[in-house]
Amino acid sequence: MKSFLDEVKATPGGEHVLACIQCGTCTGSCPMAQYMEFPPRKIIAMIRAGLREEVLSSSSMWHCLSCYSCTARCPRGVKPTEIAHALESLANKHGFKVGGTKTPMFYRSFVDSINGRGRVFELGMMIKYYLLTNPLAGLKIWKVGLQLFTHKRIPLKGARIKETGDLSRILRKYKEIGGSD
Amino acid sequence: MAEPRIGVYICHCGSNIAGTVDVADVAKFAAGLEGVAVSRDYRFMCSDPGQEMIKKDIKELRLNRVVVAACSPTMHEPTYRRVLKNAGLNPYFFEMANIREHCSWVTEDKAKATEKAKALVAAAVSRVAYNQPLETRQVPVNHSTLVVGGGIAGIQAALKIADSGNKVYLVEKSGSIGGHMAQLDKTFPTLDCSACILTPKMTLAGSHENIQLLTYSEVEEVSGYIGNFKVKIRKKARYVDLNKCTGCGNCTELCPTSVPDEFEEGLAKRKAIYKPFAQAVPNKVLIDAKSCLHIKGLASGKDLCRLCQKGNPKKGIVGCETGAIDFNQKDEVIEVEVGAIIVTTGYQLFDPSVVKQYGYGRLDNVLTSMEFERIVNSAGPTGGHIKLKDGKEPESIGIIHCVGSRDEKYHEYCSRVCCMYSMKFAHLIKEHTSAEVYEFYIDIRSFGKGYEEFYNRVLEEGTVFLRGKPAEVTNIAEKPEEKGKLIVQFEDTLIGRQRRIPVDMVVLSCGVEPSHDAAQIARMFNISRSADGFFLEKHPKLDPVATMTDGIFIAGCCQSPKDIPDTVAQASAAAAEALSMISRGTVEIEGATAVINEKLCTGCQFCKEVCPYSAISFDDKKKVCRVNDALCKGCGACVGGCPSDAISLNHYTNEQILAQMDGALT
Repeated sequence: MKSFLDEVKATPGGEHVLACIQCGTCTGSCPMAQYMEFPPRKIIAMIRAGLREEVLSSSSMWHCLSCYSCTARCPRGVKPTEIAHALESLANKHGFKVGGTKTPMFYRSFVDSINGRGRVFELGMMIKYYLLTNPLAGLKIWKVGLQLFTHKRIPLKGARIKETGDLSRILRKYKEIGGSD
Repeated sequence: MAEPRIGVYICHCGSNIAGTVDVADVAKFAAGLEGVAVSRDYRFMCSDPGQEMIKKDIKELRLNRVVVAACSPTMHEPTYRRVLKNAGLNPYFFEMANIREHCSWVTEDKAKATEKAKALVAAAVSRVAYNQPLETRQVPVNHSTLVVGGGIAGIQAALKIADSGNKVYLVEKSGSIGGHMAQLDKTFPTLDCSACILTPKMTLAGSHENIQLLTYSEVEEVSGYIGNFKVKIRKKARYVDLNKCTGCGNCTELCPTSVPDEFEEGLAKRKAIYKPFAQAVPNKVLIDAKSCLHIKGLASGKDLCRLCQKGNPKKGIVGCETGAIDFNQKDEVIEVEVGAIIVTTGYQLFDPSVVKQYGYGRLDNVLTSMEFERIVNSAGPTGGHIKLKDGKEPESIGIIHCVGSRDEKYHEYCSRVCCMYSMKFAHLIKEHTSAEVYEFYIDIRSFGKGYEEFYNRVLEEGTVFLRGKPAEVTNIAEKPEEKGKLIVQFEDTLIGRQRRIPVDMVVLSCGVEPSHDAAQIARMFNISRSADGFFLEKHPKLDPVATMTDGIFIAGCCQSPKDIPDTVAQASAAAAEALSMISRGTVEIEGATAVINEKLCTGCQFCKEVCPYSAISFDDKKKVCRVNDALCKGCGACVGGCPSDAISLNHYTNEQILAQMDGALT
């Protein structure tokens, strides 16, 4: 069986995980480090230690804001931002349930909204996101929603790109080569 | 010529070759080639039994040509030529096929590697049949040595050679010898005062009867070859007569122009006429033409200032009493002849201003390590008092390791000295102040004699070691206790948590990098450079101070980052290399020289122009060119240059090269 390390290395973004010297520049630079159960440097050490369950079920990588500070400063070209996204992809692919963060649900709503139309449909996406997470929280922001609506910032009908067929083909190909949905 | 009877030997080189090349198959293939009398494979051809095998075959099977398919000829061609010589054959009846560097090490597929090895062996066999007997020549070695660079490496090498009674020219581009070591405060791990151990050596080098010191000078041109180099050296105008200057310093007091002092890393000012530093050797002044008012005025035809020379007679102030100042001095180019050259041109410190997040040049009290050396030095700009920009003593200091080192954006290598000098700083800070010291490190590398013990000592003195490469240094406070401080943000990797440490001063432990003119120096002396930009030694383990150019040696930080003990050891090794050449008295020169076919020569003399060794002369009577065998190095420039195809190079004749190509292609 393939080790967790090999699995991460084979995922786009995870290639450079072996170059890490555990200097901590990534964690030091990370604006979200204090919210993470395992900060970036530690996640890399855990990947190398083969702690698959703990890593993929943790919320840490879902906190990544893609600010790329870690990637810009890393002395070894490890690209921790991309490792975080590779881990998100793996966690999703293998159906890991993640506690402590709503980010996966947000990604899910966004991707589903894009799927088939090529543009995000805000109203649909937000409704789905609150249904997946906490419908009551959705009600709490009715005022903002109403204001956006009256300013015509929330159209009732979503926009579409012209060639939705091309998009479907791209997504099909992506799944074929092992991308998660 | 007798029929060629060729012996072919395929080396396994352990698994280096045999792991990728089917050596038995290659040997079998070679046995079928024209002229081959015997073909064998063996585990280590360069070993004693391997060499004996060749000797035995030469005698018993009456071989008259030998091919060894093994490593690079740079490695073992001399070994096998010696075998042939000992067995009574001319050493030039030998050919080497490089099936290691050119084949097994660079080919993964076994079948392809074997096929390539066969082609290389066939090429060598085909060529060796055409090889001609040649004789190597002995040329005398000039007993003088040139040492380029007057840091500790150059001083050490020069002294060792001079003490043996041989002449040394020690060239230094700045106004004084001493180099970076003269700037340092204490030296790890013994805490000897750097100046105290260096100054005696500098003085000795300055006064040694066998050392001609050429400061404020640069090498301009190098020609010739091992044992017989000709070197042009430019002695830059220092506008001061060294024979008259007494180094009294009166002139510097009179000079009205102040500029940043290089020796003090710009933390203090010096005058336009100045002594490089207090213990300079020679202990004399020089004028910096770029800042001197009089010299700048001369360009627009004005006669300005000259206070240093004349003083101010109206106020009764006298200028230079010995008349040493000479504004008419011009650069002077001298030529010297030497047998060996030792290049010790040193390093430069990494400039941390490119690592924006550490704030060097933007935030006050963020210093480079060399600036800190000067600050902590009792002869430095603060008299050894560790002070902040506002004059207060710091309560806490952070030292950041690996700045510019171990980072693919700057230098991938470890600079080897930073861990130790950083810990030396920690010790000195504790000695001079009551400040808290934080060392931010990735790994502590304390590998030398007494170094780990020094690490323990600094730990026990209470220095706080924090494992984590800082992400940034900022002056933006997030908490009240961070107000007015520099905050080092990092991950304490041993706890696994992001932390912020407020400090008053940050010292950046900058790495060592090749000096900015390393490429130019390398070109001039024909030295190769490794990927990191440092000069490349001939062999990293077994020939660490030689270069690919015979007779030119390297030592010190121009070869790689290293500390003082290693530099001194390497410089002594380079001196030993030069002395070994001198004591042997002669060097052996390759037998391959150019020959001119006088029947074809039209006397155009183009060859004479392109020859880098001045080995070609023109016979005015016969109107043809001739090669002086003793001077010819066999480079082949004339062969390529001759428009009449009248020149051929022994051991590289058209016949031999075409045969080699034929062999490779069939």
